[in-house]
Amino acid sequence: MNNVIEVKKLSKSFKVKVKEKGFIGSLKSIVKPKYKTIKAVNNISFNVEKGEIIAFIGPNGAGKSTTIKMLTGILYNDAGSISVMGIDPTKKRKKLAYEIGTVFGQKEQLWTHLTPYDNFKFFGAIYDIPEYVVEKKIKEFIEIFELSEFINTPVRNLSLGQRIRCEIVASLIHEPKILFLDEPTIGLDPVVKENIRTLIKRMNKEYKTTIFLTSHDVGDIEKLCKRVIIINKGEVVLDDSMENLKYHYLNKKIIEVKMKEKVNLDDSKGITILKDKGYNLKLEVDTKKTSISEALKKLDSDKIIDINISNVPLESIITNIYKGEK
Amino acid sequence: MLMEVKKELKFILLSIKYNLAREMTNKVTFLTNIIFMILNNAAFLIEWIIFFSIKDNIGGYGLKDVVLLWGLASGTYAICFLFFGAVQELPNLIMNGKIDSFLVQPKNVLISILTSKTKVSAIGDLIYSYILLFIYGFSIKNFLFFTLFIVTGGIIVTSIATIFGSLAFYITKADTLTGNVMGTMLNFDTYPEGIFKGAIRILFYTIIPISFAVYMPLNILKEFEIIKFIAVIIFTLFITLIAFLSFYKGLKKYSSGNLMSARV
Repeated sequence: MNNVIEVKKLSKSFKVKVKEKGFIGSLKSIVKPKYKTIKAVNNISFNVEKGEIIAFIGPNGAGKSTTIKMLTGILYNDAGSISVMGIDPTKKRKKLAYEIGTVFGQKEQLWTHLTPYDNFKFFGAIYDIPEYVVEKKIKEFIEIFELSEFINTPVRNLSLGQRIRCEIVASLIHEPKILFLDEPTIGLDPVVKENIRTLIKRMNKEYKTTIFLTSHDVGDIEKLCKRVIIINKGEVVLDDSMENLKYHYLNKKIIEVKMKEKVNLDDSKGITILKDKGYNLKLEVDTKKTSISEALKKLDSDKIIDINISNVPLESIITNIYKGEK
Repeated sequence: MLMEVKKELKFILLSIKYNLAREMTNKVTFLTNIIFMILNNAAFLIEWIIFFSIKDNIGGYGLKDVVLLWGLASGTYAICFLFFGAVQELPNLIMNGKIDSFLVQPKNVLISILTSKTKVSAIGDLIYSYILLFIYGFSIKNFLFFTLFIVTGGIIVTSIATIFGSLAFYITKADTLTGNVMGTMLNFDTYPEGIFKGAIRILFYTIIPISFAVYMPLNILKEFEIIKFIAVIIFTLFITLIAFLSFYKGLKKYSSGNLMSARV
């Protein structure tokens, strides 16, 4: 075991002002303000090993960003303990900054009026890296991450995909041991998303960087991560390997058939009719209750024109976990 | 410790360099900002020349004193906005949860925030302040003291704005309060000290300490007094410490945010 992140019983609440409707409500809130406490993160614990690519996912407002912000020293925790590379972010924020990199998909860290080259040099200086080392690093990045085309174009003139690529590269200038990526592919088209995923994979492979990723994009999770932590309402609801997640939750199969003749089929043990358009049928088979062959026996195999058997999409699995269904 | 200070100073200068590089992307705006600030300041001096043509002494100051007063005031604000140009935006950055990117850098958060912006017009203020020093009377001694006092003045103004700006960790609309305090300081410190009496004078040594930023330095330049000199230096250090303590105490209450934002 070689944990780079250790989180124990971590909690964080926010005090939010409650205001009644309208002008009277505004007056009341001045005279006697009311507050409510929102538990953003509630008693969560997990560890991350060196070199892992981990997906930290959950619906909006689940507490993902709050957790990342506590891990990176942006927010203070109310209770529990955090150790990132053996450092407590609340006590040694500056020391931790040398060890980690962050990319927030919704927040730019680069100076938009400067070129990526100037930005990288500025970031190098922030991390006290000698100029000749920064120059060498930039050359290396240009080659590995294919930046030569736009390295001298002001960031404001770059496409969103190019900008995110530069954001990620800038966060690598000090060779962080852990990279926190908060929705890095938000708003990107499928081709650019694929580029970013390749970049993340390469980073993990070339520099052995541990990746802590949050994303609403199932593609990111499926293609990059070997382990997934699902958080909902501030609590960890699942912490498992992607393999186990699929194994345990993929007991349901979808059968889509096109028949020569109309079939009359009703729900039965382990079989749910999802769609029945006479000649076209869509069934969900729970393989824990009935086998695929049993389900197929209910259909006349001579009359099948076409058949497709697939897994339930990961997106549906995750949605069900969010909803608390298993 | 000394190494840390050296690194922070190097970082401040680098930030200014990059800020200026950013501002220079539009050459016309860059130059006009500087020139118009000098002209704008000069217009006020013309008013004073007219006043002194009517009366020789206003609040114990002659024209030469007002020239020095304006020089110190312009220089003070030049240092504030040249080096710590984002101080006015501090409450907004706090309220809108936009200081995340500074918190993940291995540098002093407050210094990183304050130095993240430079007002180009401050260059105009700085040039103007030294022109006025030449008009007042140039000597090596005056030059050195003048430079020292616009630096201490700039730090005092920045510290006061930081203290009020840090209230944004606790209350909303702290931006208005900070704007008002800075505006008040700017308005008062371009008038002769002698025209203000009573309670206002107490304000000048407390909530809006322009006495330490401008009036005492002016008196020292006119006639050196060691007590006043020490008072200015000690007050500058004291108010800087209070500014850092206020910010870092408030930072524990920081609640970040998820607004889309860009660093421009």
